[in-house]
Amino acid sequence: MKKLLRLAPLALAIAASSASAQSTEDTLANMQQQLNSMQQQLNAAKNDRVRFNGFFSTGVARASNDAGYTGITEKTNVADLSLLALQGTFDVTEKSQAVLQLVGRGADDWEPQVEWAYLSHRPTNNLQLRAGKMRIPFFMYSDSLEVGYAQPWARPPQSVYGPIAITSYVGADATYNFNFDDSSLTVTGFTGFTDEDGNSGDVQLRNIGGVNLTWTDYVWTVRAVAATSEVTVDATRLKALVPPGITVDSQLANRDRGSFYGIGASYDDGSWQIISEVTRAEVDGKFADTDSAYLSIGHRFGSWTPYIAAGWTESMDDDERTGAFIPGAVPESILNYQRTDYSIGTRWDITPGVAIKADVTHVRGLDKGYGNLNTTYMLSNDTESTNVYTLKLDSAF
Amino acid sequence: MKKLSLIFAASLLVSPFALADVVIIGNPAGPDSLTDNLVRDLYLNRSNALPDGQKATPFELPEGSPVRAQFHDKITGRNDAQLKAFWSKQVFTGRGQPPAEAASPAAMKAQVASTPGSIGYIDEADVDSSVKVILKP
Repeated sequence: MKKLLRLAPLALAIAASSASAQSTEDTLANMQQQLNSMQQQLNAAKNDRVRFNGFFSTGVARASNDAGYTGITEKTNVADLSLLALQGTFDVTEKSQAVLQLVGRGADDWEPQVEWAYLSHRPTNNLQLRAGKMRIPFFMYSDSLEVGYAQPWARPPQSVYGPIAITSYVGADATYNFNFDDSSLTVTGFTGFTDEDGNSGDVQLRNIGGVNLTWTDYVWTVRAVAATSEVTVDATRLKALVPPGITVDSQLANRDRGSFYGIGASYDDGSWQIISEVTRAEVDGKFADTDSAYLSIGHRFGSWTPYIAAGWTESMDDDERTGAFIPGAVPESILNYQRTDYSIGTRWDITPGVAIKADVTHVRGLDKGYGNLNTTYMLSNDTESTNVYTLKLDSAF
Repeated sequence: MKKLSLIFAASLLVSPFALADVVIIGNPAGPDSLTDNLVRDLYLNRSNALPDGQKATPFELPEGSPVRAQFHDKITGRNDAQLKAFWSKQVFTGRGQPPAEAASPAAMKAQVASTPGSIGYIDEADVDSSVKVILKP
């Protein structure tokens, strides 16, 4: 009995301590949860208003001669394929955002250029209005033109993407999104102007008006675009090659009507990745009208995605350039072009966010027109084809 | 050594059961159920609204989380690398930003419990009364 009495307080103490341990644990768990929640809210408040993203590319490319396809020659140059971009997304209100994208390119001594600077507003869940500086949506990959990581290739197929060097405009667009059960249709109207350095010199597009339709069931994507504008092209680059004392008319277009049409389709079921685009650019006057197309087929094997691609581009109005660009020396036909290119390459996803690409592109038919090539070299050499070898690293963060 | 290999064998046996099924959870004030397709659309930037019209706020677990992998395997059919490529395209074409990340299942529950219109996913074993299960894929 005495023993029992002596033990009783101990038993009580144990019982009490286990009960209090239980409640302490509960309290701790509650506090932990509250802490988590507060931390998350802090993070959310911090992250939601401003977000930063970026992308980076670098690589080496060299060609078998100096024909200058996409500007690549026999001289390997790392800087030319290198770029770093930073993008800031600022929430102005719940429905409005300001987006700024700065791109610094090795080829421009890393001087940052504003590629995007726009305000976007979503009055409803399906309607988006934007105004400011944006990419001009000629192609399927226009919006991610320099985001190598978002593309399957070492570079967008130059047959289609090469002839048009105008990439940005200042203006406004409106996008309406129709969401269906397993597909969606996006309709965009855009308008604006641009004044940029194009392939042959200074290019101005005024009063751009265009429509863009994209339908997708998330495996198939079909896209159509039509745009028109007043085009002014001054071939300042060609003019610079003309010896002093000789006057040439380098004005290839002067507020002439220009139209652009494109259709594109892609298929991506997770294994096969098939992409094709067909485009037509027409400008009244001497500036070359161009038809272009490419087909690209890739297949994913784990982290490897090898691809083959074939492209074709041709100036369609060569009969409008039968005169002389420099009388007695250079015919206007140097503005013509026609070529086919064949690429084989692979993308290797090393880790989420980083991909390496290797590509060999064979281009032929260069002798049929020197447009967009290294004119000086082409005029003094009888080059029919060129091979371009590229190794590139693309990252997004 | 024998003990170690025994533990290893036991862990092999246990691991399939250790990861219960992933369930999709929602804020208690939100809808009672969503379809697989709508959850997929919300996580792949195809839609941003719940059936009642309110703005949806999805949350993700961090890359590398097995529950995240299970969720995406069942709902979006994409792995981490594919999601990264997908979102980089969305971000750099100005179409949207990936869902906010919750650092842990506990943080996921706390976020979903405190954010109206939010959805998330956790292991079924982690579900408690602060959130409600709206889909078992």
